[in-house]
Amino acid sequence: MPNDSIYGKYEAFLPLVLEELSNKIRQADAIYRIRSGDPLFEHINARIKSEESAREKCRRKGWPETPRSVLYEMKDAVGIRLVCSFLEDIFETVKAIRGFSGVEVIEEKDYIKKVKPNGYRSYHMILDIETPFEDVLGNVPGHYFAEIQLRTIAMDSWAALEHQLSYKKNISNPELIGAELKRCADELAACDVSMQTIRELIRNS
Amino acid sequence: MKLLLAEDEKDLSRALAAVLNHSGYDVTAVYDGEAAVEAAKINAYDVMVFDIMMPKMTGLEAVRAIRQNSDMTPVLFLTAKSEVDDRIVGLDAGADDYLTKPFAMGELLARVRSLTRRSTVYGSKELRFGAVLLDVEHLEMKSANSIRLANKEAHMMEYLMLNPNKYIGTDELFNHIWSDEPETDKGIVFVYVSFLNNKLRSIDADIKISADDSGNYILNQF
Repeated sequence: MPNDSIYGKYEAFLPLVLEELSNKIRQADAIYRIRSGDPLFEHINARIKSEESAREKCRRKGWPETPRSVLYEMKDAVGIRLVCSFLEDIFETVKAIRGFSGVEVIEEKDYIKKVKPNGYRSYHMILDIETPFEDVLGNVPGHYFAEIQLRTIAMDSWAALEHQLSYKKNISNPELIGAELKRCADELAACDVSMQTIRELIRNS
Repeated sequence: MKLLLAEDEKDLSRALAAVLNHSGYDVTAVYDGEAAVEAAKINAYDVMVFDIMMPKMTGLEAVRAIRQNSDMTPVLFLTAKSEVDDRIVGLDAGADDYLTKPFAMGELLARVRSLTRRSTVYGSKELRFGAVLLDVEHLEMKSANSIRLANKEAHMMEYLMLNPNKYIGTDELFNHIWSDEPETDKGIVFVYVSFLNNKLRSIDADIKISADDSGNYILNQF
């Protein structure tokens, strides 16, 4: 049976890769809860990049619309977002992910330290996951890429608002809204740091 | 309030110190310009009173050196003679006001009060130390990125940035920043130092506030 998905015959494996990675993360959270009494994150969102978004990304990057492009050049066909209550939880979770077996961290981008000019804050990791399945290069066991984004609840709601702005055309005063959104990002960051500090003060008192 | 007095005539110095102490100032007396510059490097003062003619370094040279260290503490000059030149050179060197000897103690106290009143809004809208820029008016602190400050955080940061590399006591910080809320617990100083340090870290700053064992704080680069 021909498969006209941009992911080709590998489409069926993607949910399994996503499930496997989600399980590793949930397990790390369970272990952390036992050790510290607190969860690593507040919630987890897992998704396979939609056909439409994958094709759009290929066109934007000038890649041919092939399985190789979306499974080898593109690294976020498999994506997980972890939303944490406190800043420190992000870095605890990053530490846990670095220790996963069968998973190699091939890139980390700290947009919490190196904030994007528009105010975007988040921590991104690109992972190379070894799986029992064939990959797009024909290897068995095969390797699949995944992206994990980690952020606080405040950063997450800010990103949702920024997303709305970036997709809305014909805004009457985009510079003004952009500047206010940036100011808002800095205020939310201040709240995140203050809550983290109070948490430390409570813990150390 | 801390006052640095540099006057080489011992009798006059003693008399001034007595009157200023009586009026509630915490007076440090030195007797030459060099000692004044050294004292200003180590301690944070609210106001300085300098004689012009002093051994080792004149009051004019001392105030120039102090200003060169980005110290903007108000300085009042005491000039022996009422020569216009002296006053012009003194004000141009960075002094804020002058008083011609002989003067009435009441006028000296009034001028010191006027200078310290002004120091709380001493033209420091933007301050820089290390790679950190503090915009007091907009409550913003910037380095690799930017973050917002609460009102009292901004005031504490402003005071520390006006007095970098100097140990400042908990009481001193408290008296400057919480003067409008004297009933507040002094433990608040440590809490705000913690807030500021974490905010400095979040903007990837090259400066931080350190503490010694007796609750004195110092802002320095690392």
